[in-house]
Amino acid sequence: MAEAEAAERRVLVAVDESEESMHALSWCLKNIISDKFSDTLLLLYVKPPRAVSTALDGTAFLFSSDVMLAIEKYGNEVADCVMEKAKKLCSELADVKVETRIENGDARDVICQMADKLGADLLVMGSHGYGLIKRAFLGSVSNHCAQNAKCPVMIVKKPKSTSNSH
Amino acid sequence: MDASTATDTAPLAAGGAVEESTVVGMVMQEPVAAVRKSKMKVMVAVDESEGSFYALRWMLDHMVRRSSPALATDGDDEVEMITLVHVQQPFQHYAFPAGPGGAAFYAASSVVESVRKAQEENSALILSRALHMCKESTVKAETLILIGDPKDMICQATEQMHTDLLVVGSRGLGKIKRALIGSVSDYCAHHAKCPILIVKPPKEASKH
Repeated sequence: MAEAEAAERRVLVAVDESEESMHALSWCLKNIISDKFSDTLLLLYVKPPRAVSTALDGTAFLFSSDVMLAIEKYGNEVADCVMEKAKKLCSELADVKVETRIENGDARDVICQMADKLGADLLVMGSHGYGLIKRAFLGSVSNHCAQNAKCPVMIVKKPKSTSNSH
Repeated sequence: MDASTATDTAPLAAGGAVEESTVVGMVMQEPVAAVRKSKMKVMVAVDESEGSFYALRWMLDHMVRRSSPALATDGDDEVEMITLVHVQQPFQHYAFPAGPGGAAFYAASSVVESVRKAQEENSALILSRALHMCKESTVKAETLILIGDPKDMICQATEQMHTDLLVVGSRGLGKIKRALIGSVSDYCAHHAKCPILIVKPPKEASKH
């Protein structure tokens, strides 16, 4: 690495609908992004795959195309809404280059793959803060990414303060 | 001059509400900028492994501006202070023999002393190397030695010192080992209240 005068950093922030990931994004903008480094902020939202419900005996319910379209449209709307919110946060809090990506699939794997593909130096994510039992059943995206991503991972937890945390 | 001030005060009184609202608007914008420039207290957990030094090096390269000392004194750094913490495993003063008998042997005090001294030297070596790295990057650093189980001690230390960021290396254990041996970085990721940065050493075989 030569002179760190304008070291380029690519920071990938994984966002979803939860408050925790927005908190992680705003923490990152306040504390990590600075104008001393030329940073590029990459926002990634992963659309969960359409669940096809199957009964235990192997019969699958096929939804009609209308319903599928509606589900698809809803998924896209949620994605756009989350991205808008994230971009608004970025423009409010920091003056930084922002790129957005919306991908499909299982969040855990997609985040790790995209971190590799986009050449991110740092991956920032929030954590739902599940307890031990919930974590065992629902699984933790942040845990999985911390173990499997090739780049350093920063996990930001939202403080559970009961008073107004703002 | 009096006339001008008189005319000035009249609009102020009439548009006083407007003035106040703009003042309020300005005041509300300031805290956002002020919070952005607040300095971070970072705690880095170091031990004998190369992974933890790689984590420290990564943090210094990417989050601290390694510039000339002249630029560093402008006081506008994000990282205020790095606390290097090394946790020593407590030395068991007794050993149970494997054979029949069942009595516990207590280690002689001289053995305890020599082990403790060896541990202190070990810690001093590790911390001095870490301090040297921080000094190269012109960042204030302090050291801390704790005795106990690394997982718990690190999490407790972050709470007590109100650190803003905890940096740990990761040994890159596989799933089975992680479940059996337990991973400090995993435990801290779950239990530490502050944000945590986990830095894995790069794979030597791959490109890079």
